[in-house]
Amino acid sequence: MIITNNLSKNYGGQTALDSLNLSVKTGEIYCLLGANGAGKTTTINLLLGFIEPSSGSAFINQLNVHENPKATKRFLAYIPENLMLYPSLSALENLDYFSGIAGKKISASDLEVFLNEAGLQPEAFNKRISTFSKGMRQKVGIAIALAKEAKVLLLDEPTSGLDPKASNEFGLLLQKLRNKGVATLMATHDLFRAKEVATHIGIMKDGNLKQQLVASDITLQELEKAYLQTMEYKALAL
Amino acid sequence: MFSYNFKYELKLLLRSRWIQLLSIILLLLFGFSTFNGLQKVEKRKKDIRAAYVEVQENDEKMLKLLDSVERGMEVSVPRWTIPTSPMAVGNYHPRVAAMEPQSMAFIATGQADLFTHYVKPKVSGNDFAMNFAEMTSPVQLLFGSFDLAFVIIYLLPLLIIAFSYDILSAERESGSLRLLAAQPIKIHTWVLQKLGLRFFWLTLLVVCSLTLVFLVTGLNPLGQLGVFFGLLLLTLGYMLFWFSLAFLVNLGVGNSARNAVMLLGLWVAFVLLAPSLLNQMGNTLYPMPSRTLMINEMRNLKAEVTERQDEILDNFLRDHPEYAINDTTQFRGFYHRYMASQRLIKEELSPIVDAYEAQLKERQDWVDQFKWISPAVIVQESLNQMAGTSTQDYENFRKQVVRFAVGWREHFMPFLYNNKNFTQEDYPQLPKFQYETKAYASFATVPILFLISVGLFTIGFLFSGKTKKGELLTSS
Repeated sequence: MIITNNLSKNYGGQTALDSLNLSVKTGEIYCLLGANGAGKTTTINLLLGFIEPSSGSAFINQLNVHENPKATKRFLAYIPENLMLYPSLSALENLDYFSGIAGKKISASDLEVFLNEAGLQPEAFNKRISTFSKGMRQKVGIAIALAKEAKVLLLDEPTSGLDPKASNEFGLLLQKLRNKGVATLMATHDLFRAKEVATHIGIMKDGNLKQQLVASDITLQELEKAYLQTMEYKALAL
Repeated sequence: MFSYNFKYELKLLLRSRWIQLLSIILLLLFGFSTFNGLQKVEKRKKDIRAAYVEVQENDEKMLKLLDSVERGMEVSVPRWTIPTSPMAVGNYHPRVAAMEPQSMAFIATGQADLFTHYVKPKVSGNDFAMNFAEMTSPVQLLFGSFDLAFVIIYLLPLLIIAFSYDILSAERESGSLRLLAAQPIKIHTWVLQKLGLRFFWLTLLVVCSLTLVFLVTGLNPLGQLGVFFGLLLLTLGYMLFWFSLAFLVNLGVGNSARNAVMLLGLWVAFVLLAPSLLNQMGNTLYPMPSRTLMINEMRNLKAEVTERQDEILDNFLRDHPEYAINDTTQFRGFYHRYMASQRLIKEELSPIVDAYEAQLKERQDWVDQFKWISPAVIVQESLNQMAGTSTQDYENFRKQVVRFAVGWREHFMPFLYNNKNFTQEDYPQLPKFQYETKAYASFATVPILFLISVGLFTIGFLFSGKTKKGELLTSS
């Protein structure tokens, strides 16, 4: 569902991403780990078509992202670190607006079903987003992905700033989407959550994908060790 | 996408109180400026009415005097003002040559601040030196008039700027632009739709506010549908121009503060600088010959002519033998010489007057040629034309007055040179002035404004096609 072939991005001689080869299949959750500046957000920006690659190519649902920017966006949903919706609109209205401009006409009752499925309390449906916590906004973001019937979900550090309960709920929602066959690529610093939700984990450093791991094959401690070794941090941290 | 933008843009505007705020501001601005304009028009009408009343009262006195004189009674007025003398009637009982305000005069003060709306040409007066200038407060001239034209040209663009400067940058700064850009839409189309919808709502508010203000102030828009519709179209064309600039700036510049500064800079350039520059350049390239010099020239000529009045009168009577033949008294007094020399003065002064008018025309032509550099200039001109207060209207009035003054003088010439008394029977034949309006208003400005706006939108689209989405999302 998500494929990158030697995907690279340079900014004036500075390499932000170096020949990334990645594949995320239907029903997989791929977590990209790495320090700040490792190239995680650049990868997501390239997959969203926000920036042009210096070389290589990215595919979503077998369509080249940079040749078919509008078509590929029909299949994907995106949740940034701080999901900013329209504060003076309610959750229902935001969902209606974003699914509407994405070309989905959905009845009010179905919109409520999506919000419910995303884990938002019914009493919050008609409340303005300005009163929502970050966790509640993320749930509306998931509802947008559900309403769009997205095949691909791109997440850029979605759990940062969430309390453990909200983070756990978010993880459960990702599992739900996984069961629906959504391919998810999540950039995160959160090793624990990555181990919890991912099927595959990639560790990036300086624009390179240094390691790819199958989440079920390793423990959290092994993941942490692999991460620190990749980052060349001292083992003292263990 | 459009139906969703339409639905939610209105909700967002209502919830942010923009629609309510704009409605109140527009009603206040249109209301006050219309009231102000109507007050000025009312004053103008009152002044003209007072002048007519004064003439009527003078005429009644004149007819009573004539009646007394014709009955052989003694009258206690200075000899030279007794109306049996045609020159006394021509000088002391002039008619009012008035330029009545047109029905839409209240929308633009135009030149009305600078020129008088009625004159009383006298038989011995100089047509060229007739004073059309109105005494005006310099402070009033400095700040201009708070009329509808001022609101439309100066203030409406500021409201549009406040309403549209941050359409894209606010989304970028709040972070919602990334979510929008992740949808299968084109950002510049989305911006255009948002601007289009704001244009639509502002248009609706302008139409409603103007109609309401017109109705409240007792003006019936349906009674003057053509002019009202023209006024609306012109306003919409001008609004569209500012929205097209906002579109370009939204796509091209960056953060909200910079967008606002950029648009305010354009406002200063188009609304304040361009008209002023045009005026200054017109003055420099085609300086107006001094009116004082022209009057001095006239006085010199008069002094020179006075010395040869007898010779001039002889020449005049040779040219007009009908006066010499019909007059049995052959009396020739001051006015006979004076009026004959006036004709000569007029002939000799005509090259100076022609040069003055030619220079004025050249300057006007030059300004007309370059007025397109600023839509504010062409909208002001069009509104003045609609109101009947444009330079052309006052020039038309001046020409009609000069023509009337000639007619007034000519009317008394046979009386003067035939040494014939003016009688009560001659009173109904006195010439009367009737101002004939000319329609200078041209709706050509409207399609031109729309074309300029469409051109700017097209440039915006071409420009946005070359802008990478990443730049839109990240530039500041």
